[in-house]
Amino acid sequence: MQSLTISGSDSRFLFPTTSMSMPDPKPSVAFFPAHISKPIFSTRVSPGSVKAKAAVNDGLVAEVAEAAELSFYELLGISESGSLVEIKQAYKQLARKYHPDVSPPDRVKEYTRRFIRVQEAYETLSDPRRRAMYDRDMAKGIHLAFSAGRRRYQNDEGMDEKGEWKSRWQAQVSELKRRSMNKDSKGSMSWGARMRRQREESCNGL
Amino acid sequence: MAEPAYIVASDNETTGEEKSSAAFPEIAIGIDIGTSQCSIAVWNGSQVELLKNTRNQKMMQSFVMFKDDTPSGGVSSHLSHEHEMLSGAAIFNMKRLIGRVDTDPVVHASKSLPFLVQTLDIGVRPFIAALVNNVWRSTTPEEVLAIFLVELRAMAEVQLRRPIRNVVLTIPVSFSRFQLTRIERACAMAGLQVLRLMPEPTAVALLYAQQQQQTEHENMGSGSEKIALIFNMGAGYCDVAVTATAGGVSQIKSLAGSAIGGEDLLQNMMRHLLPNAESLLSDHRINEIKSMALLRVATQEAIHKLSFQTSVQVDVDLGNGSKIRKVVGREEFEAVNQKVFDRCESLITQCLHDAKVEIEDVSDIIAVGGCSCIPKIKNLILKIFKREELYKGMNPSEAAACGAALEGAVASGVSDPFGNLDLLTIQATPLAVGIRADGNNFIPIIPRNTTMPARRDLIFTTVHDNQTQALIIVYEGEGNKVEENHLLGYFKITGIPPAPKGVPEISVCMDIDASNALRVFAGVLQPRSSHPAIPFMEVRMPTVDDGHGWCAEALHRAHGASLDLVTVQKKI
Repeated sequence: MQSLTISGSDSRFLFPTTSMSMPDPKPSVAFFPAHISKPIFSTRVSPGSVKAKAAVNDGLVAEVAEAAELSFYELLGISESGSLVEIKQAYKQLARKYHPDVSPPDRVKEYTRRFIRVQEAYETLSDPRRRAMYDRDMAKGIHLAFSAGRRRYQNDEGMDEKGEWKSRWQAQVSELKRRSMNKDSKGSMSWGARMRRQREESCNGL
Repeated sequence: MAEPAYIVASDNETTGEEKSSAAFPEIAIGIDIGTSQCSIAVWNGSQVELLKNTRNQKMMQSFVMFKDDTPSGGVSSHLSHEHEMLSGAAIFNMKRLIGRVDTDPVVHASKSLPFLVQTLDIGVRPFIAALVNNVWRSTTPEEVLAIFLVELRAMAEVQLRRPIRNVVLTIPVSFSRFQLTRIERACAMAGLQVLRLMPEPTAVALLYAQQQQQTEHENMGSGSEKIALIFNMGAGYCDVAVTATAGGVSQIKSLAGSAIGGEDLLQNMMRHLLPNAESLLSDHRINEIKSMALLRVATQEAIHKLSFQTSVQVDVDLGNGSKIRKVVGREEFEAVNQKVFDRCESLITQCLHDAKVEIEDVSDIIAVGGCSCIPKIKNLILKIFKREELYKGMNPSEAAACGAALEGAVASGVSDPFGNLDLLTIQATPLAVGIRADGNNFIPIIPRNTTMPARRDLIFTTVHDNQTQALIIVYEGEGNKVEENHLLGYFKITGIPPAPKGVPEISVCMDIDASNALRVFAGVLQPRSSHPAIPFMEVRMPTVDDGHGWCAEALHRAHGASLDLVTVQKKI
């Protein structure tokens, strides 16, 4: 279970993770939201360590880490039986809180990350078919495998919803396969972690 | 000493950092720059107020007259007659021309305007010039817009008794990011800082959200979600949006837009009235400009009248020997412009489809803009929705400026004790952004109608063995082929570790923040390593400046397919 909660997509906001140890056609490429052009981490984080979370202790970051581990229902603050109306209301309420246009100026970056996460939750749960799939995955304890930002191009993509549906499902299957293969490996880092590491180094070098 | 026409405050593009990090000491004003008319509004502390010029007009004609040494715009100058604007000395319709190259069909359609628009079809700026003392004085749409904005700014500063710096401008949905940089450039020339560029129907949507919120307060409403369709058609552009509104939040579900408008209706009608108008309209012989102006004014008047009566008598002497004396019926006008109306219809249906909304779900249908009073437009909208009435709570010519002013107040951090500014627009991308790959194909990375802020990525790979470099060419648009889309810029990633083709994993990520700044990241992923194979490049787009029509061709000629990328197909 541990490897599930800290691997790939769910840790996209922050910390280095256990990830694949062999060339893999589906590396985790979810990473830090963009407008961060400077590394916000002054502490160097050790790859693959859950303690990294504590090392990156900056309050704000820990808070987001928490958000990253929440289910879409928890993220929106509704029950798993919540109706579409409730989902929409919760989304609009959270948008008013986290949308960068209305968030406090000093927290825009953090809130932007949160908003994108809330948006993903809303888009999944407000679509009956995607919600059903998500619910099924959640029952299996793999609900964090979803990530709207992570995909490969398919020629038929966007042609019909079924295609998208199928590709998501396939992405999840391969993600699961990957995880079961690499459960214990700690040799490599997520893309985001590598990026941060590299930026940090280039900064230190200056 | 003569005052300079305008001040170049900054020649640099306004950057996203400037936009988002500044603390806003003042309330930004909202400006709706229309193709033919313009208005300006501001939050006055309790409500939105439209500003009037010295002649007590809320709507000012968008033009700049080049006369003698000092150009003057439609805010301050007064025309004795409509013909004066059509003498060749005035530049107007700049919103149709800004940021377009001379291969663009919209530029070609502008060649029949009284001032000079010359195209050489090589993908550079068109040659635009005003006739001053029988000499063509060249200018650019940015310059014209800047002169106009300087006048608007001066007018607002006098009335509000404070310096104006921050603005929210409305823009057509179909504008590319390159065109947006031209608008920003014009603002910078006028000493204005762009806080937001808002697609016009989304500004209207924000005003609608505020109105709904007020109604809810009055009726102690439940705050349930309401869906509205906004149709906005002016002289230059037709835009459609679907918004879901609840509790002051306007969530843009979909956007659609096209460069069609009243100008097309007018030109089709002019050609219909004078069948061999072509040489008169496009030759720009100085003595024929007057005839052209007479025809234009007469046609314009006829179209206006046809909104209120079923037929109109056109009686005009063009002064060059030809006279037009004709009765034109409304049906005739509608038949001549059938294609334009069909396009309006298809924009609405496309927008509904993209929003995944059925016509019964739509609570209100809002039609704004100059063309919204044309009976055919009203009827075609009502027919699509099988309704009897359109939404009545808005002034069709003021709504966009009011919405922009609301956004200006919200984005400036102003709060209202009565909750009238507890508003938010959640914007969506009007066009897809992506890169060239798989030969000449456009591969979207952030699709159209994606909620902003957004971040998406895709993996690509090389097409040649031991390919060490790849060109990331960024486009925006909806076409499958790159040439059907707008080029935003390009950069090269180098140092890809030598490997057989198809092996390197090149990640291209795009990020759009809430102020609509686009950044593109590209680099090579390296399995089993904590370092990317090469440093990731982060580039703010667009990077192209003028003459970008040439760039793609030149790149192709210089490099062929040697720096190409292909998408990675799903492997299971």
